[in-house]
Amino acid sequence: MPAAIEIEHLTKQFRGVLAVDDLSFEVAAGRVTGFLGPNGSGKTTTLRMLLGLVEITSGQATFGGQRYVQIDQPIHHVGAVLEATSFHPARRAEDHLKMVAIGAGIPVSRVRETLELVGMEEVARRRVGKFSLGMRQRLQLATALLGDPDVLILDEPANGLDPQGIQWLRNFIRHQASTGRSVLVSSHLLSEMEETVDDVVIVSQGKLVLQTTLAELANRTGTTTGMRVRAPDLGHFTNMLTASNIPFRSVAPDTIVIDGATPEWLGPILAQHQIVVYEVIHEKGSLEDVFLELTHGFDATVPGGAAPGTGPMGGTPDAAGVPDPTTPTPGGPS
Amino acid sequence: MIRVIHAEWVKLRTTSVPYVLTGIALLINALLILVIFLHQNMRGGDTVPHTTQQLNNLVGSGFQGYLFALLLGVLCITTEFRHKTVTTSFLVTPFRPVFVVGKMVLAAIAGAVLAVIMLVATLIGGGITLVARGGSFSDMLHQVPSVAPGMILVFALFAILGVGVGSVLTNQVAAIVVVLGWFIILEGILVSLVSGAAKWVPTGAALAASNLTRGEGGNNSGSPIHLFNQWQGTLLMLAYGILFAAVGSYFLTHRDIT
Repeated sequence: MPAAIEIEHLTKQFRGVLAVDDLSFEVAAGRVTGFLGPNGSGKTTTLRMLLGLVEITSGQATFGGQRYVQIDQPIHHVGAVLEATSFHPARRAEDHLKMVAIGAGIPVSRVRETLELVGMEEVARRRVGKFSLGMRQRLQLATALLGDPDVLILDEPANGLDPQGIQWLRNFIRHQASTGRSVLVSSHLLSEMEETVDDVVIVSQGKLVLQTTLAELANRTGTTTGMRVRAPDLGHFTNMLTASNIPFRSVAPDTIVIDGATPEWLGPILAQHQIVVYEVIHEKGSLEDVFLELTHGFDATVPGGAAPGTGPMGGTPDAAGVPDPTTPTPGGPS
Repeated sequence: MIRVIHAEWVKLRTTSVPYVLTGIALLINALLILVIFLHQNMRGGDTVPHTTQQLNNLVGSGFQGYLFALLLGVLCITTEFRHKTVTTSFLVTPFRPVFVVGKMVLAAIAGAVLAVIMLVATLIGGGITLVARGGSFSDMLHQVPSVAPGMILVFALFAILGVGVGSVLTNQVAAIVVVLGWFIILEGILVSLVSGAAKWVPTGAALAASNLTRGEGGNNSGSPIHLFNQWQGTLLMLAYGILFAAVGSYFLTHRDIT
């Protein structure tokens, strides 16, 4: 599939601060790509370099091989939503769009059309200073759509939106993709985007962490992160775990979590030692957990604990007869 | 370029900036006209302006409004940075010098229009007062050809200079403080301290460009001021504007819009 956007070895240095570090990725044409990373990971700087607003220190960012500033009438090819504050508060919504349309050689009749596309035709004559954040976001989207572009770049478009606004935005983005547009949408929350994007580009500290499809990322979920056990008398069980050097966390007086453990590992042990339990929960990672793990370099669901798969023990039963919980059990999930 | 200028016109007319500045300029002009008539009364004898110089002063009473043309130019560009609309402007016009030149052309037109509005307002307000006091409106009208071209030119030149300064000093408050500080305080001090500076400072160049012989912008001693001729003054004013715009365009081109 041809690339709508190509980022190659992109680097940006702000007065000694490396905001983007040798970043390379591609955005496939006709797909929605989520550009994800925690706040301060260099997403906005990358998008602004792509749009010619921030000077590139090294590398390049192009649309079909052309830099934004090289594109003739770029508004006709690329629409961008960058921040909700870039309006003159005294200007009417309609006038803001007219100003852009005239500057870009777009027929003024298109202003009404785009206002209708984002459901704002009723407030066309209202001054932007009186708009809510959600309305400003919609007006930004209308601005981006004025030139009927092939590529849409949306920087944190869900910021400040209420749940209804986010739902509207998801539908809007999916609709844009269904018309053949390529969409690059940034967010610091994967949960906001997981129902919207086809592909993901994950960055952290200015560097690429992972580029994949959402489906492939989803395959990483479901991985066991641990077993939660609630029991009336945990003393015997925790002594046994301690003796076997199995790490666990006490999350309540009657509840512990054994990181990395699986049902196949825990079940036989509970039966063998006749431990009475009230509740056993198999804790699995979500897409958000995978995202956090990738962007933080550790599993944020394991406060102070070892990440799954990093158990210190060998796989053989120890003196207390408790095997390492990270060792695959025959027939169990690997 | 036509599209950029047209878009700049839409930007300008859809904010309150030009209307507020024009309103204040007209108010001050009305006060100046009042002062001219009061001054005439205090001198005794003829109670209305009637000599060529007096009528010339009356028609050109709005000349000092060039400061508002300057502010119009400054606000044209600094407002974009204040409200961050510059992001959208640079997305539409990524080659930033075109953005600056577009603003300069529009500001020049707006400055010229401001001069025309002030001239018309002076003719209406001053003319009515003049006729009511027994003066001759046709004598006043005769002074228009000698005042209007220079005044319109100077207003346009100051608006261009304003855009140039604003492109260098994009912080709106800083830009306004600097231009007002220069034209109200520093320029006068410089002219009084350095002999021969009068014709080189922007006000001296503007006076030369205006071809008016009323003595504004000079020192307070009443001594004659040697200014450039009209073309030299015009070119010098344009040079100031273009110099600032060139420096501003360079900085803007390399400036990160974050």
